[in-house]
Amino acid sequence: MPAYEFAMMFRAMPKSELKTCLKRVSQAIFDRGGIIKNIENLGFKPMPYKTSSHGLVHREANYFVLKVDTATQAVADLKEEYSRDVDIIRQRVYKVQDETENSACTLEEEMLPPAYREDVQKMIKIGKTQVNRFTYKFKYNSGLDYYPFQK
Amino acid sequence: MALLKSLLNRHIFYNTPRVIIPAVRLFSTDVKPAEDDAPADIENPYKKERKQCILCKLNIKPDYKNYRLLSQFQSPYTGRIYGRHITGLCKTKQEQVEAEISKAQNCAYMPYYYKDKTFLKDPKLFDPSNPVRSHRF
Ligand SMILES: [Zn+2]
Repeated sequence: MPAYEFAMMFRAMPKSELKTCLKRVSQAIFDRGGIIKNIENLGFKPMPYKTSSHGLVHREANYFVLKVDTATQAVADLKEEYSRDVDIIRQRVYKVQDETENSACTLEEEMLPPAYREDVQKMIKIGKTQVNRFTYKFKYNSGLDYYPFQK
Repeated sequence: MALLKSLLNRHIFYNTPRVIIPAVRLFSTDVKPAEDDAPADIENPYKKERKQCILCKLNIKPDYKNYRLLSQFQSPYTGRIYGRHITGLCKTKQEQVEAEISKAQNCAYMPYYYKDKTFLKDPKLFDPSNPVRSHRF
């Protein structure tokens, strides 16, 4: 099962209500055979922009991040269910990127003068295979006995 | 004929070395074996250190939940992301930062059009008025 991160924003409400809300949210994941690995509480804070949902304008929210392992098919289902939940004002799901080997920094090669950079050399190579519009001259020995374009 | 003779003479005279260098060099001390005297085979000590961007140097992977770090790459006036020529990041890290910033903005962690005022006094990672390549702003 791939790992997902559910970034959830709950409306402003007392702690006991928030608790039941979180239980409801996690129960929906368990019902679809998912596993919650971690719940992070990022706190109650003002949103950088107001959000309107379910007919109300919200300027503050309880921020939570759920780290979930679940089937890919279940994600769309969960999103649809949460969108109907009145207490959730915003939700985003991101797939967790697997830890890839961080390649070496290429800043040194990028700081070279253009002629020494690999991507520029590639561009020059491509440019040489094409007709240069600025230096192209019509050849009069093309078989036509007149100049085909406007002079 | 006389002219030819004098020319030939002069030619020979100029080409012969005046000081005769002896083929054998004389030493007052004993000759050391070649291994002791040979230049040591070491790495170039004056080689410059490889340049690295700040995120690669500190081995930081940008993350949308770490919006305080991401907001340092945002203009405090317009909320726009600074370009690679200003931030001094390598291509991969700049791409990651841009992707994570757009995620964080989407999650309402970060504003779109300004920088969070609590982060305004954070230390500066780069100087926007002193870019690597000049720009038109
Ligand atoms: Zn780098």
